[in-house]
Amino acid sequence: MIIKNKPFRMTWLFMAFLGALALPSGTAEKAIAIKGGTVLTMAGKSIPNGVVLIKGEKIQAVGSEVKIPADAVIIEAAGKYIMPGIVDAMTYFGVRPFDLNDLTNPVTPQNRIIQAYYPFGKFMQGKGGVEPDKELLGGGVTTVYIAPGDRQVIGGQGAVVKTSGRDFDSLILREPAAIDMAIGDPPKAAFGEAQKSPVTRMSIAALIRKSLIDAQEYDRAQKAYDSKAEEEKKKTPRPSRDLNMEALVKLLHREIPARVEADLVDDLRTAIRIAEEFQIDLIIDSGLTAYLVKDLLAAKKIPVVLGPTSHPFVSGGEVSSTPELLRVMDEHNAAILSKAGVKVAIASYGFGFGGFGDAVQGKWLLLEAGLATGFDLPDEEALKAVTINAAQILGVADRVGSLEPGKDADVIILDGYPLNVKTWVEKVFINGEAVYSKK
Amino acid sequence: MRMLRRALPLLIPLVLLFQVEFAAPAGQSRFALKGATVYPASSSRIENAVILVENGKITAFGPDVKIPSGAKIIDVSGKAIIPGLIDIHSHLGFFDSDINEFPQPIGPENRALDALYLDSPDWSEAVKGGVVTLVTGPGSGERIGGQSVTIKTFGADLQKRIIKEAGEVKMAINARNLSHVQAIRNSLLKAREYKETWDRYEAGDKKEPPPKRDLALEALVKVLNREERIRCHVHFANDMLSFLKLKDEFGFELTFEHSTEAYKIAEEIAKRGVGCVCLPLVMRIPLGEDLMRGNAVLEKAGVKIALHTDHPVTQEKWLRLCAILSIRYGLSEEAALRAITINPAELAMINTRVGSIEKGKDADLVVLNGPWQELQSRVDLVFIDGVLAYDRSLDESKP
Repeated sequence: MIIKNKPFRMTWLFMAFLGALALPSGTAEKAIAIKGGTVLTMAGKSIPNGVVLIKGEKIQAVGSEVKIPADAVIIEAAGKYIMPGIVDAMTYFGVRPFDLNDLTNPVTPQNRIIQAYYPFGKFMQGKGGVEPDKELLGGGVTTVYIAPGDRQVIGGQGAVVKTSGRDFDSLILREPAAIDMAIGDPPKAAFGEAQKSPVTRMSIAALIRKSLIDAQEYDRAQKAYDSKAEEEKKKTPRPSRDLNMEALVKLLHREIPARVEADLVDDLRTAIRIAEEFQIDLIIDSGLTAYLVKDLLAAKKIPVVLGPTSHPFVSGGEVSSTPELLRVMDEHNAAILSKAGVKVAIASYGFGFGGFGDAVQGKWLLLEAGLATGFDLPDEEALKAVTINAAQILGVADRVGSLEPGKDADVIILDGYPLNVKTWVEKVFINGEAVYSKK
Repeated sequence: MRMLRRALPLLIPLVLLFQVEFAAPAGQSRFALKGATVYPASSSRIENAVILVENGKITAFGPDVKIPSGAKIIDVSGKAIIPGLIDIHSHLGFFDSDINEFPQPIGPENRALDALYLDSPDWSEAVKGGVVTLVTGPGSGERIGGQSVTIKTFGADLQKRIIKEAGEVKMAINARNLSHVQAIRNSLLKAREYKETWDRYEAGDKKEPPPKRDLALEALVKVLNREERIRCHVHFANDMLSFLKLKDEFGFELTFEHSTEAYKIAEEIAKRGVGCVCLPLVMRIPLGEDLMRGNAVLEKAGVKIALHTDHPVTQEKWLRLCAILSIRYGLSEEAALRAITINPAELAMINTRVGSIEKGKDADLVVLNGPWQELQSRVDLVFIDGVLAYDRSLDESKP
């Protein structure tokens, strides 16, 4: 997946220019060498006593025998762990709860969550500009997927953003990154309350099919017009644009995947069935019982973004109200899927507004990964589930998710083994810039 | 959902079978757990200790216990043992629709026991997490929600499972409603009058017929007599102060429930001897870093703290995880263990039976495959009243 992000590059050039004016020559481009720690690259074996060399916004080298430039800024990390920034593959971070779902309509693929994203700190407070969330950075989280809520059948378009950057546009890694859908209880409950369709699983599936058939028709009409000779085009009006259809056509063209929240096996099968019918890329979200269809998911190479190990009921469902799920759910879900060859991410599904004092659940994502290792998920897989696997599922692995030359310098330094509950993130770099230091 | 609930009774016999199957191998009335590192909660950790269990009670515990010849020896070397965990604030064992009598803001007469749903699969899930005793009851939708039941999570005989049928009165105050505290105050004043009426009657010649009984006021009289305590759901520091003033006026026993901002007024709480049932609720509810360190602040100020799951807000089985998180945020390991064992036992006034590993107490024991305070450690065995209630090797032997 190629990320076209012109505003980002232009801003970068402009800032580099400013930097050159403001600082003595060379300082802006000084390399940073983090050395002496155990480097968990997430791209092969870990490197004891390794070096991560950062130049500008990118990682220049990673290894045990990296030549460190004489003028590089050295960061001693002996006894510490160095790994890529945490990637949280599903959040509602930075979006006010009332902006998440448009319950006037079950299908709104045109809606873009990026337009509800608010990274400017607290409303009516702050000095100005983008304000990174210190708690999220404190959890080592450098990249998050932000999604529309799960109460609609097709909620809209999600985005992948970084948790720190110099301005709004520079935060955006990929947008749109997927179309978010939900099958099962969340839309049933939301529209059931309003006594409005869809209130059954049948109707939910039918709505998705109808929307995709509409998009196929739309695509055909647009293509038919495009293929006309120029003379013809002048005579016939161009078919009107429809933003809902344009979004879904991206699915049909496989430019972006569908992310479908589904928990019960029946819902998982419906999602897979529809994806097959329309030949679209599918990511399963939540997937409480995904382990029951592990072979199907593995065979079709469908990744799963699981909820947090300690509270996997991501749509707010309470356990005792869903005894049928309680009987089949299993904390070994991640381990079983991973062993079967399914690509697994563990995500926070966390909020960033409301709740208690604007705190974020995402800061504890490493702990959720650690908890999964108690349920037989190998350590390596648990770490991948919050880094490289998440990045690959989000289509941004060319930029983030592992420590490799050429990738964005999103690096975290921890004071101990990342999956230990007493370990703390000490330093965070995003795009080569130190953005967090533990007090 | 309703249809599924109707189908539940069909599934219940399966659940029962499951429990019986586990219980059977430990039918012995006398056995010894040997070789583990034991965290008794009421005293310091002991390596390589022996716990002797006879007829459901702990009859000996220590490094040099002589094991009687007839006792079965269960070797648990390399494992850790902690007391059966106690969740002092749960809503486990009820249908969601049964815990809040919303149209009735003052309902101290309502008893959770009368709504208990014993066939819920949540009970056996709780056991898996090592949670043995619950104070479970009404929600926080009313000013006075009713009385909780104190019950064990496992056991064939319901009557034996129940430690306390009723009593603990649940109240709730939330900021931004000036009438909440006054509504409770009015109820307590009425209860005081009711008590005086009865006291006069009892002291008199009893020629007149007795005053009419009022179950709501009876429950509150127990609170005024300090036989039962008030459990007050509260989040904001100012609301806590209001309630502390109420305590000063009426002198009842009190715990704060959730106690979100208790750390901001730790001294005020400590000096009145009020217990705090504290957050976090595992990693589900986002909490700020200062708040996460609040448990350590309260402990240092001398407040007796307990942790809770608020099931179904978070699942009962993760109670231990709340303690582990508190350790991450500065609470000592010993204090964190006390907060899920002996402290809630004392606050719920059931510490003569449960809450620690001591001679004479119920044999509620949790055996883990590693240090209890590590994220990755798992519960291997759970004994409740000396009966094996959970064995992970059987539970996870499914393909």
